[in-house]
Amino acid sequence: MDPQNTNRTSPDAHLADDALFALALPPAGVPEALPAHLLACPRCARALADWKSAVRDLEARDEAVLDRRSAEEWEAVEDATLAAIRREGAPGRARAKTLRWALPVAASLLVFALFVSNRPTPSPTAAALDDTAGLSAQDQADDALLRDVDRLASGDETASGVGGLAPDPGTSDLAPADEGRS
Amino acid sequence: MRPLAVALLCAAFLLPSSSRAADLPEGKWWKHPRVAAEINLTPDQVREMDDIFARARPKLVEGKAELEKRQGDLQDAIDANAGRGEVASRIEAVEAARTELQKTRILMVLDMRRTLKPEQWDRLIEMRREIRQQRRERFGRYLERRRGEQPR
Repeated sequence: MDPQNTNRTSPDAHLADDALFALALPPAGVPEALPAHLLACPRCARALADWKSAVRDLEARDEAVLDRRSAEEWEAVEDATLAAIRREGAPGRARAKTLRWALPVAASLLVFALFVSNRPTPSPTAAALDDTAGLSAQDQADDALLRDVDRLASGDETASGVGGLAPDPGTSDLAPADEGRS
Repeated sequence: MRPLAVALLCAAFLLPSSSRAADLPEGKWWKHPRVAAEINLTPDQVREMDDIFARARPKLVEGKAELEKRQGDLQDAIDANAGRGEVASRIEAVEAARTELQKTRILMVLDMRRTLKPEQWDRLIEMRREIRQQRRERFGRYLERRRGEQPR
C-alpha cells in the first residue's frame, strides 16, 4: 500500500498528502498530535520526516525568489510533482532505494507551490526573517546552523526523534480541517 | 549562574518543546537588515550578538553533531529490530544530547536577550509569531484548495 494514495482516516491506513502536510507544519505553540499509525509504520514515519525536511528547507529560502514565478507556473509544477509522487508509489515498482531522494525532491517542489499559491503579495514579516540573500556566506552558514539547532533542540523531527515516535495519547489520526487551519 | 537565569532555564525545559521553539527567534536574525531595522538594532548591539554567538558556536556545532550521531544510532537500532533495552539506552543518549544542545542554545539566547531593550525583544518575538501565523494561513489555504480539487 502506498502512503500517498490511501485513505488516512483509518488507523491502519497510510497517511495521504494532506495529512503529511498538516503534520509537517503544525500550528505554533500547539503540541504535535501524531497518528498512532506512525508508531507502527516506518514508511510513513520516514515520509513525514521527508516532508518536514522539505518544509524546513523552504522556510529558509528567500521569498522574493519564489515570487518570480507566476501562479500558473507554480500550478503546473505542483500538478507535475503530484503526478511524479504517485508514479513513485505505483505498486510493483522498486521504490525503496529511490524514495529516500525522490520524495524530498518532489516534496520540495510541491511545497514551493504551496508557499506561493493563493498568495497575491509577499508577506513582509516572513520575508524579513526568511531572507538570507543579503547575508555573507559565513552568515548564511551560521543562519542555517542556528535554524538546525532550533529544530533539533526542540525535538522537531519524526523518523529519528524519540518524540516523533510516540503518538499523542488517545489520538489515532489527525484531520487537518479540525486543527484550526483555515 | 544568576537565580533569574536558572529560573528561566528551568521554565524553558518544563514547557512543551513546540512552545519553546515558537517563543525564541530563529536563525541569525540580528544579521537580517530588515529585522535589524524593525527592532532598531544598534551597531553595538549587533557586535554584542556576534560576540555571544561566536562564543556559543563551537558548542552548538559540537552539540548538533553529537545529537545527529545519536539519532543515527537510534535509527540504526530501530531498523535492525534491536531489543528494547538497546533501543531504550539509545533513546536516552539521544535525549541527553538534545538536552545539552538545548541548554547551550537557551543560554546563548538569554545572553542575547540581555543586550536588547525589552521593547526590542518583544517586537522580535512578535515578528516570529507573525511569521508562523502567516505560514499557517498559507498552508491552510493550500490544503483547502487541494481538498476541494480531490474527488471524495
